[in-house]
Amino acid sequence: MARSRRTRSVLAVFASAALLATGVAACGSDDNTSGELYKNPVTLTWWHNANQDGPGKDYWKKVADDFHALHPTVTIEIEAIETNALQRTRIPAALQSNDPPDIFQAWGGGEIVDQVAADYLKDITDQTKAEVASIGSAAEIWAVDGRQYGLPFRMGIEGFWYNKAMFAQAGITKVPSTLAELNEAVTKLKAINVIPIAVGAGDKWPAAHYWYNFALRDCSVATLRAATKEQKFDDPCFVKAGEDLQAFLATNPFQDNFIATKAQEGANSSAGLVANRKAAMELMGDWNKGVMETLTPDRKGLGDDLGWFPFPGIEGSPGDPKASLGGGDGFACAKNAPAECVEFLKYIVSVDVQKGYAAAGVGIPVAKGAEAGLTDPVLQTIQQATAQASYTQLWLDTAYGSTIGNAMNDGIIKIFAGAGTPQQVVDQMKAAAQK
Amino acid sequence: MTAIHSTVDPAGRAHARPAGPRPPSGGDGGRAGTDSAAAARAARNRRKWLEIVGFSAPATIVYAMFVLVPMAFAFYYSLFRWRGVGAPTDFRWFNNYKLAFEDPVFVDALTNNAIIVVGSLLIQGPLALGIALLLNRRFFGRSVFRALVFVPYVLAEVTVGIMWGLILVKGGELDTVLQSAGLGSWIRPWLADQDLVIWTLLGILTWKYLGFAIILFLAGLSNVPEELSEAAAIDGASWWQIQRHVTIPLLGPTIRIWMFLSIIGSLQVFDVIWVVSAASMRSLGASATMATYMVDNGFFARLWGYGNAIAMILFIISFTAGLLFQRFVLRRDIEGALTGRGRRAVKLRGGK
Amino acid sequence: MAAVLSVRGGARFGARRQRRFSWGSPLTYVLAMAVAAVSVAPVAYVVLGGFRTTGQIAADPAGLPDPWVWETYGRVLSGSQFWSQTFNSLLIAAGTTTGVVALGVCAAFVLARYSFRGREALYTFFTLGLLFPASAATLPLYLLLKDLDLINSFWGVILPQIAFQLPVTVVILRPFLMAIPGELEDASLIDGTTRPGFFWRIVLPLARPALVTVGVLAFVASWNSYLLPMLVLGRANLATLPLGVQNFSGQYTADTAGILAFTSLAMLPALLFFTLAERQIVGGLQGAVKG
Repeated sequence: MARSRRTRSVLAVFASAALLATGVAACGSDDNTSGELYKNPVTLTWWHNANQDGPGKDYWKKVADDFHALHPTVTIEIEAIETNALQRTRIPAALQSNDPPDIFQAWGGGEIVDQVAADYLKDITDQTKAEVASIGSAAEIWAVDGRQYGLPFRMGIEGFWYNKAMFAQAGITKVPSTLAELNEAVTKLKAINVIPIAVGAGDKWPAAHYWYNFALRDCSVATLRAATKEQKFDDPCFVKAGEDLQAFLATNPFQDNFIATKAQEGANSSAGLVANRKAAMELMGDWNKGVMETLTPDRKGLGDDLGWFPFPGIEGSPGDPKASLGGGDGFACAKNAPAECVEFLKYIVSVDVQKGYAAAGVGIPVAKGAEAGLTDPVLQTIQQATAQASYTQLWLDTAYGSTIGNAMNDGIIKIFAGAGTPQQVVDQMKAAAQK
Repeated sequence: MTAIHSTVDPAGRAHARPAGPRPPSGGDGGRAGTDSAAAARAARNRRKWLEIVGFSAPATIVYAMFVLVPMAFAFYYSLFRWRGVGAPTDFRWFNNYKLAFEDPVFVDALTNNAIIVVGSLLIQGPLALGIALLLNRRFFGRSVFRALVFVPYVLAEVTVGIMWGLILVKGGELDTVLQSAGLGSWIRPWLADQDLVIWTLLGILTWKYLGFAIILFLAGLSNVPEELSEAAAIDGASWWQIQRHVTIPLLGPTIRIWMFLSIIGSLQVFDVIWVVSAASMRSLGASATMATYMVDNGFFARLWGYGNAIAMILFIISFTAGLLFQRFVLRRDIEGALTGRGRRAVKLRGGK
Repeated sequence: MAAVLSVRGGARFGARRQRRFSWGSPLTYVLAMAVAAVSVAPVAYVVLGGFRTTGQIAADPAGLPDPWVWETYGRVLSGSQFWSQTFNSLLIAAGTTTGVVALGVCAAFVLARYSFRGREALYTFFTLGLLFPASAATLPLYLLLKDLDLINSFWGVILPQIAFQLPVTVVILRPFLMAIPGELEDASLIDGTTRPGFFWRIVLPLARPALVTVGVLAFVASWNSYLLPMLVLGRANLATLPLGVQNFSGQYTADTAGILAFTSLAMLPALLFFTLAERQIVGGLQGAVKG
């Protein structure tokens, strides 16, 4: 017994020493200069989230192969990992252990702020000036304090996906552009016995997006920018957003038991309800068409009956009616990744590669000129709206980081459940910032 | 054979009862006194310790390295306010623990765990026992039935989630079955009603873990010699009487072990809750358990220090429960084993 | 014996008292079938779901396959590393099970048949692992495995899995080993066998039902575990089945039919193992201790 106790303590000491040593060995050297680019064979590890067998996964493989053909000294090893596992477990663990992949998925917002603060990412400002100019304001989301740390390859704003046939049947002649018109549309749809709006509140974030959009309408762009940067939510517009949400909920626009409905999975998800013509509208991001198509037996979703309009404005509100909520996907290079990593990143967001991305039908590209590759009319509409948005606000839970974001979503869900108050949402956000 | 308290009845049939370990010096009563005897005892003692260490070392080492060391680190992290990037620097003593108990959702999670602990014991225990007794009798196709009953336990959690999600949705299988049985008025929003969801989950947990209890009881039943039941039968006991007075008491240790594992498992339950109940239900506290709270509000919110504190709270509660259980319930088994005195005499009707 | 019983017991017990091979009473059958039905009906639904498309399931969750779609199962069986994942899962589960049973029975033997100071402390030491949620230990465990250079190695999964499964194993095995009558041990010691010899020749065979039980539990636990493999086995060719199912969920879409088909197939080896093993759970001490 004594022996095993000693053994245990020896092991514990060894283990802790080893762990400490790992932490200390963080000082890597930047092992190359730009003059040496492509001279030495280099292997880049690339972690992306298109893990399902399909066009997305295939396209990234093609991109890697094409880059290798252009620069034979660079070999790219891909790991395709399911997105939640990637974002919540794999990447944090890899960064923490000081052995991250060279290029990996980056969602921007509060997460990238934290990663930069811990010095995990490579500063690519100087090498990517042209790309940032081409992408426009969306690139800001992957920048911290004016320095660029990642680049997006996909960006889209959200809006209401709707069933044109049902609208016609209900006598709605033009898409709602104000909240009052939206409420009217809801009433008309109830009259023809369909669910006016489907919401996947079971997953929390689809419900939260309503609050985010109300915040966008009630708060000035300056306030929103400050909130992202300083994580201060004292402005009363955030409470007003909750009040607007309560008023909207009072009109009963959603399906029964919406509080537990999932957004995308299988039967009776909110996307499924719209796709199978049980509900008329859903507020969702640009990916929803692909989702709806998988949920109908004929794989066509709503087909030609599918339409899209942006979140309506609120008359008399201080927010910018052309500001939009949106988000995208991007990649970032690890701090000590070889310089070839930055070149590969630039290649991914180059116009031709982005055109191919658009043609693959998996998302809306960001580079200027790449939208020519889009064939679907609905996606084209969204792309134009994205390009024309005066200010694109990243999903608030991503922008503020998942600590505050999680608390914020919890507070909003309480309002959906009929139990919370608008003030509570803000209070919870402030409390989370302290945790 | 030395005269030990007889466990062999005159008819030559043995009673199996937990006999436990014998004194280390073996069957011969230790003789005190001479030097050579003392030296022999010392040598035996050394060899005994060698055997003990030899047998237990591999398990102890592997276990200490891969379970205890990470646990110690988890405790260390729990004392910090830490977002999982860089090294933990913001030392806060037990602040995380305090914050946990101030959160009403965590308190809800504790309540839900309590419901699951008690519910599992009361429902799964008798049910599994009855089924195990049933499946212990020889009948045609018994192996098939055993395999079928075990299937839910083998199923991957993601499948369980999808499956029950489809069955319990409004208009899904369960509602259809109830309707056609004329019980339409019983239909409820199984997973959407905040008060009902935890009971729905308890039902699914019962379905999933019944197989575990049954397999454990079957193993215990295999330890019960048939001769005893036969003897009782010859003496005129009915099947039910045999179970009640012979089989079940002999199954006692197994039942108590199952209870221990069930309590601990119920405190730690995660997978079924996570995949079946919606994230919104968990945030509202309606279906949260300590383990899902730890992941939802700790790790996924990138509050690694806080999450580890929840893990430690879960550990302390489990530890206390385990300790109390061992002290008050399992003690009977251990005592009987050490002293060699049968605590539960096997009573046979008209017995010998 | 049999003859005596059936003559004496026949009048009282009727059909129940046949010894060797019995058709059982109708009540037994009814109950058994009810239990089996409740256990399996949902699973049958899952298996059938694999014969549909995701779209069909979305449109009509409660329905039967119509038309029967073979393509989903076909896709699973032929595509994306299903077989290599099965092989990897088998390898890891076999390693874990062997390790758990071997190490566990040795440790339980010590805890059951020797008495020494600190025995209960050692037992409590082992049960501590039961009380701690494994998911909280993953980050430190990952760092430790990295230092030991066990990332992307099967041992990086097998060893921690053994470690985490040991507490349950020891807790279950100890009372079984304690229940072996002391007379057997005394008899063997008198015959000149050492304690380890007693272990090897008498305890192990007698404890077979218990060993098989903990073996099955260890196998199933390893078979379904995904958190550890997800962290440790990054490379696609090392993935296990629970990781493979993630290929059917993407960022925005879930191929429900594919998942159902995949998990139906994935469940088979574990069930097979159980079926083969459960025959061993019958047996035990019958006739072992006869005067």
